Amino acid sequence: MTGFAELLFSGLMSGLIIGLAGLAVTLVFGIARFSNAATGDTMTLGAYGALVGSAFTGSVILGSLIGLAAGALASVVSYLLVFRPLQGRSPISSLLASIGLAFFIRAIIGLVFGHDQNVFQLDIVRPIKFAGIRIQPNDLKFAAVAISTLAVVFIILHLTPIGRRMRAVADNPLLAKVSGISPRPVMLALWSIAGAVSAIAGIILGMKTVVSPESGWEMLLPAFAAAVLGGIGHPIGAIVGGLLIGVAQELATPFVGFTYKIAVSFIVLLLVLLIRPKGLFGRSEGVR
Amino acid sequence: MTLEIKNMTKAYGGLRVVDDVSITMEDNDIIGVIGPNGAGKSTLFSLVTGFLDGNSGSVTFQGKELGAASATVRAQAGLVRTFQVPREFSHMTVRENLMAAVPDQLGENLLNTFFRPGQVARQEVESAAKVEETIAFLKLSAVADVPSGSLSGGQKKLLELGRALMTGAKLIMLDEPFAGVNPVLIGELSEKIRELNARGIGFLIIEHDLGALSKLVHKMYVMDRGRLISSGDPAAVLSDPVVREAYIGGGVT
Repeated sequence: MTGFAELLFSGLMSGLIIGLAGLAVTLVFGIARFSNAATGDTMTLGAYGALVGSAFTGSVILGSLIGLAAGALASVVSYLLVFRPLQGRSPISSLLASIGLAFFIRAIIGLVFGHDQNVFQLDIVRPIKFAGIRIQPNDLKFAAVAISTLAVVFIILHLTPIGRRMRAVADNPLLAKVSGISPRPVMLALWSIAGAVSAIAGIILGMKTVVSPESGWEMLLPAFAAAVLGGIGHPIGAIVGGLLIGVAQELATPFVGFTYKIAVSFIVLLLVLLIRPKGLFGRSEGVR
Repeated sequence: MTLEIKNMTKAYGGLRVVDDVSITMEDNDIIGVIGPNGAGKSTLFSLVTGFLDGNSGSVTFQGKELGAASATVRAQAGLVRTFQVPREFSHMTVRENLMAAVPDQLGENLLNTFFRPGQVARQEVESAAKVEETIAFLKLSAVADVPSGSLSGGQKKLLELGRALMTGAKLIMLDEPFAGVNPVLIGELSEKIRELNARGIGFLIIEHDLGALSKLVHKMYVMDRGRLISSGDPAAVLSDPVVREAYIGGGVT
């Protein structure tokens, strides 16, 4: 029973990371209307940014803020240089471009940092016992950061003028145009938020495990699965989808082994697309 | 002169959907555009509001030639349209729909949201007050916090008018505002249009309900198969034999 509870907890932890990545995917899909395959590599970039930042500043927290800024900046630059010129064309063009961008980011990271695994220098703390479950205190901090990130994103979406305009564009792009809503600030906000959220997901992932040029790319499938499971374009859906997939992956580990747990995402993605393409939260066309 | 549409033409292949149409509007005019289905009225709206590019012709709004200005730029300049089938940000509440359309918000920039939160918040309060006025004016208070997708057809028309108002429109182009609206609400909607007009907002209205329209407008233009076939005082236009011929007995009451 304790074993189950520990798997469940660890599943929720990975679920938060998957959920954050899924949120980035779903926001871009809802507003810019394509699946961004560079989401995973933006995570990696954020993690490397945080590694370098930590080395420079000597503080993991400051380093992480630098990683976050790097992710947001890279995301905005990729919008300006790659996705904006493709606006108005078929979403397939943007999707293919994002795959190319993903390879590009990964290659640059590999070139600069090499392919060895890196770790964050975190203090080693004794796990605490809670109701018989061993919990890493760091995990609690990560969970707090992930949940605060979600809170900030939802506050922006629902309680600020720019968030309202982002939701308006997601809801009805044509009407947004005739209502005098300029697309540019909306897109810049979208890409900075998506980049920052991806970077945070990548940094937490890196701190929990290791950082390598492939670590974000490997999260792409679970992130897509989370976004699709929650109903693509639906932010809360992406979080719930991420948590469900995280838990399913961990609970499957005793049966299929560590190596194959990623297959769970694939199966979820497949089943949702076959049985309920609009996902758990139903409405399939924008951010709400 | 508020609006000058000059020799506007749009053709698909050999078919001239809008054929050499010129319309001028003074400040504070309420102008009607009528004509049988397929006459090109909605296409004309799309040309004027920047949804479609014309093959030739020009649109001048408040002394400025609009050229290739985008729909967003035209809306920001004060030229705002509504749609035949009302559109709304369906998952957002009525209040949010109206708030989204308030122009020149500091908070439309993410950086300001983080770094000048006080100013953004102050502006939000001002916008909210304007939105409250509009909600009261359009009698939408009861549904202000309802997702707009669940409004009735008539309420959606009011919301469209409200959104146009919030953008600070100087000229509102209404595409069939009375279609599918019950007679009581038609009367109310006409009253609102008159009130707004008295405050200095011009209206260009496409409508099939000629009875309601002729009571409202100062001047009417009639289109048939892309061309203007008649224009002038509503009573004169409606008794024009050419207009009656175009409708072939259908619709003119």
